[in-house]
Parts: sequence; structure tokens; C-alpha cells
Amino acid sequence: MTEVLLRVENLHVSVGDTPIIQGISLEINRGEIHAIMGRNGAGKSTLANVIMGHPAYEVTSGTIHYKGKNIEEMEVFERARAGMFLSFQYPAAIPGVQVGTFLRKSVASVRGEAPSPRAFRQELNEAMKQLDMDKSFLSRYVNDGFSGGEKKRLEILQMLLLQPDLALLDETDSGLDIDALRIVAEGINAVAKETGCLIITHYQRLLDLVKPDVVHVLIDGKIVQSGGPELALKLEKEGYDWVEALV
Amino acid sequence: MTSYLDATVPNRSEHLWRYTPWSRVHPGRVDSVPDVDSAIIKSEDFELTNKTFEPLATTDIARIFLNEILRTTTVVACDNNNGHIHIHAGGHSVAAHLHIACNSAANIVIHLHGEADWFGLALTGDINANAQLSVGIINELSTDSVMVRVDDWSLHRDARFELATLSMGGHRNKSDIRSALKGSNASLKQFIAVHGHGTRHDDHHIEIHHQQPHTNSHLLLNAACDDRSHSIGTGALTIDDVAQHTDAGQVFRNLLLSPSSRAEAIPELEVLANEVAAAHGAASAPINKEQLHYLMSRGLSKDEATSMIVEGFLVDSFTGLDSDLVREAMQTRLTVHLECQLIG
Repeated sequence: MTEVLLRVENLHVSVGDTPIIQGISLEINRGEIHAIMGRNGAGKSTLANVIMGHPAYEVTSGTIHYKGKNIEEMEVFERARAGMFLSFQYPAAIPGVQVGTFLRKSVASVRGEAPSPRAFRQELNEAMKQLDMDKSFLSRYVNDGFSGGEKKRLEILQMLLLQPDLALLDETDSGLDIDALRIVAEGINAVAKETGCLIITHYQRLLDLVKPDVVHVLIDGKIVQSGGPELALKLEKEGYDWVEALV
Repeated sequence: MTSYLDATVPNRSEHLWRYTPWSRVHPGRVDSVPDVDSAIIKSEDFELTNKTFEPLATTDIARIFLNEILRTTTVVACDNNNGHIHIHAGGHSVAAHLHIACNSAANIVIHLHGEADWFGLALTGDINANAQLSVGIINELSTDSVMVRVDDWSLHRDARFELATLSMGGHRNKSDIRSALKGSNASLKQFIAVHGHGTRHDDHHIEIHHQQPHTNSHLLLNAACDDRSHSIGTGALTIDDVAQHTDAGQVFRNLLLSPSSRAEAIPELEVLANEVAAAHGAASAPINKEQLHYLMSRGLSKDEATSMIVEGFLVDSFTGLDSDLVREAMQTRLTVHLECQLIG
């Protein structure tokens, strides 16, 4: 039976007096991969951040339901503990906090109990191997001095460990070379079958590796076109002018 | 030697005593010299020898006062040795003078603990030619204690010296830490982490004096201030005219965790040489909201995320330490302290 994980209805979002999202409706079922594409400034990252509960954005009207529950009043950490995950476009650096410590505490928080050290170590080793990450990562400080690619790998490592029900991936492909993109895509595919995924991207190249079920085009804070994977191919070939002409 | 009772009590116009007047850290009435006991100094790792007290330079009222009350100097035989020294400050008023002369290499962690109402600590040392010394000082005094600490370190030719301070204990602390780079190619790295909580008042004055060419110094002070605490960091970096090709930097960073906490960061430079690199910076800010949001998006509550950021901020103070022994000791004690604070 289809399980609706995320239902966004007529969502309007502002930052200060500036409207960013202007009436988005969207539904993601478990096992589905949705891709959102659009020009810079269209509101893609805002949508992901609002779904995750970033306090800088104000929902002026509309609703967001997750697993059938209105999450407007839920704090960010409560959303994470309920199974929502955002892979950040620009993950914050936390100097002085080692990756290993951070991962262990995050996993304990999201799962509601700390895994045994042995089980966690095994799980971590497997996930890092899958992403071709060196163990020296664990003693480095979170995102501090990381290259763009290293940051994105750490985001996907967290996704593998936190095992979310809904994954929001904000330009996870940016800053990745071809090999790293393939490894990260494999990581996404590993969890995608069991979750709902919303992938924000500018490029077809990620969608060659992670096949979306639905592609949406966002222009000026509105979804103006939705379709299958062929829509992304057309955008790659023809750009956004033809979509704007339809608005 | 200047007598304390003949000395002039400094007023607050003096840079050194601007934020913490001498009267607030004196063990009694400012015009008196009370009886002071000796603190207990123990170590299983180093040979300690008590000698007749060697007076401190009478450059300021705190050193003049300590000259009146101290009777012995405890000399640490540290060469080619690593380990811990414990100074227990119990009773009403206690004091200690520890002297370290390093001729080879050593790593020392000094733990300060006890419930003394007042504790006077003098640390002196010579890092002799080609020697490498790393010293960590962990202040875990009782939350009611007042501490006056004065340091005088001399770095000679090609000496390498690391001095780290983790300041978590005591109610009111005044530290006056002075280092003189007296030999060419001498190098000093100084790291200070301050955790302010309750009404804790913690004043660090750091003087670094480059007296010879090709000398380096680096100072980092990170202070995380919560509740109604107050942290002060004043730096005085002097580069003599002969100290060409000196490379010196001072950075003061304050993390303000509550609206009632306060922090001052005042680095000062006096550069008399013309071919040097000298930099200083100071910043005070509340918790970074993007860091908070990031950690909360990984399931940590706001309090848990804040604790993690604070711990990271303070741990990062010691990242630059080369000595594994000192760095791990500082970071471990810090983590234990913060976990105890969190549990309440």
C-alpha cells in the first residue's frame, strides 16, 4: 500500500517581507524519488530548508504534513528524530567537534538510544567503505577545512547512518568529481528504495545515476511543470526558457 | 627588595588592573599581609625539590605581595620526562612557587585543585637553549576560590615552549602571564581556554616580549561565557628594535552564551622593529545560528547542540598543541567538566 510521507499543500514562505515560495503543492510517497530543478534563486533550497524547519523562514500560509501529521509546530530536532533528513548545500563547520563523536551522538539522538560501541563501529566502517572514505575522517573536526567533495560525502555518510524515512538532498552533487558523484549516487540509491527522496539539483548528471520518478520545475517559487525523467533531459538540452514561456 | 606595605596599590587606570583591581584579589584587607600556608605539591612522575624561595621580579603589586608570603620554591626536575604535577590548595589562604628549568625535552600537566579561599601561584621557568617544553595548567579549584597567578618564563636560543591553560575553576581569577623570548629562534605557543559559568570572573593578562631576532609567538585565547560570568583577556605584545624578523600573532575569541555574560578582549602591540610580522584580532559573538541549526537537524536538542558547540570551541583552543600528553589531558578534563556542568 502507498504510504504518503510528505504532503505540501499551497505553501507560501517569506523571508522578512520577501515572498520566496508562492503556492507549492507536492506529495512524496515512500520509495519515490522526486527531483526539483530550476534556475538560481527559484526557491529550491528554501523549500528544502522550510520542510526541515529552518527558523529563518516564515510559513505565511499552507501546510506541510509528514507521515500524516502537520509538522508546523515541530522543532528541527524533532523532525530529525521523526525520520527527516536534510543534506545541506553548505554544511556548517563545527571546529573542535570530531566527526566520530558527532556521528555517534547524532545516531543516538535520532534512534532514541545509543548503539553499542561495537555495533556502531561496524556500521560506521561499512558505510565509510561504501563511500570510499578514509578512517582519518573520524578524527577531523566536522566540515572544518573539508573540501567541497568531502563535505558532501560526510552528508551522505550521515544519511546512511541515520536511515531517514524522508531525505532532502540539496545540491548534493555540487563540488563532486565524476568518481565521487558515482559513489555518492550509490549511497543515495542504497537508501532510496526504503525512503522518500527529494533531490534538488541543477544537473542531469546526478539524475543519470539516481533515477527520479518525478521531476518538477520551479520558477519564482512555484512548480510550473512536472513530469517524468524525460523532463530533466529536455531541460538539460533546451534550458528553462521554454518552461518560462508556458507560465 | 620592595616591601609590600611600602608599595603603592595600583589604581584602575593601570592597564593590568583595569578590570580586576588588586583589592578584589587580595586575600584580606589590602593594607595587610596575612599568614599564608604552603600549598601541597605532589607528583609521581617528577622529582620535586624544595629550596629557599627565589624572589620574583618586583614589577607589579601581585609579585611584590607573593615575595612577602612565599617561603619556598619547588623546583621540578623535568628533563626528558613527561607526566603530571598536582597542586592542592586547601585551607584559608595558601600559596606556591613552582620553578621549571628545562634543558632537553619535557611535557608537564599541572593540576590545580582544592577549596582554598585564596590561592597565590607563581610559576617561573627557563627553557634553555635547544630545549622543548610543553606545560598545561588545569584550574579546577573550588567555585568559591580566589586565585592570583603570576608567570615569568624565559625562552633562550632555539627554545620551543608551549603553555596551555584550561581555566574552569575558582570564583575570581587574576592571571598575569609573562614570557620573554631572550634568545634568537625561540618559539612560544600559548593557548588559553576559559569556561565562564555562574558569576565567575576570569582575567588573563598576557605579556610576550620579543627581545631577539627570528623569534616567534602565537597566542590564542578562547572564552565561552555563560550565565553572569565575565572573561577578560588583555594582551601586551612587545617587539624590541633588535628583534627583526619576528613573527607574532594574538587572537582573542569570545563566545557569549547568555545576555548577562560579558567578555573583554584587548590585544595591544608595541612594535619597535621594522621587519616583522605582527597581527592581532579579537571577536565576541553569540552561538552561530547555522551551526546550531545544523546540529539540531541531526537530532540534537537545542541544549545538546549548544553544549557540543561550546565544547568544540574550547577544545579547539588546544588543537595547535604539539604535545599529545598535554593536549589530551586538557581536552579530557574539559570534556569531563562540561559533562558535569550539563548534568548539573
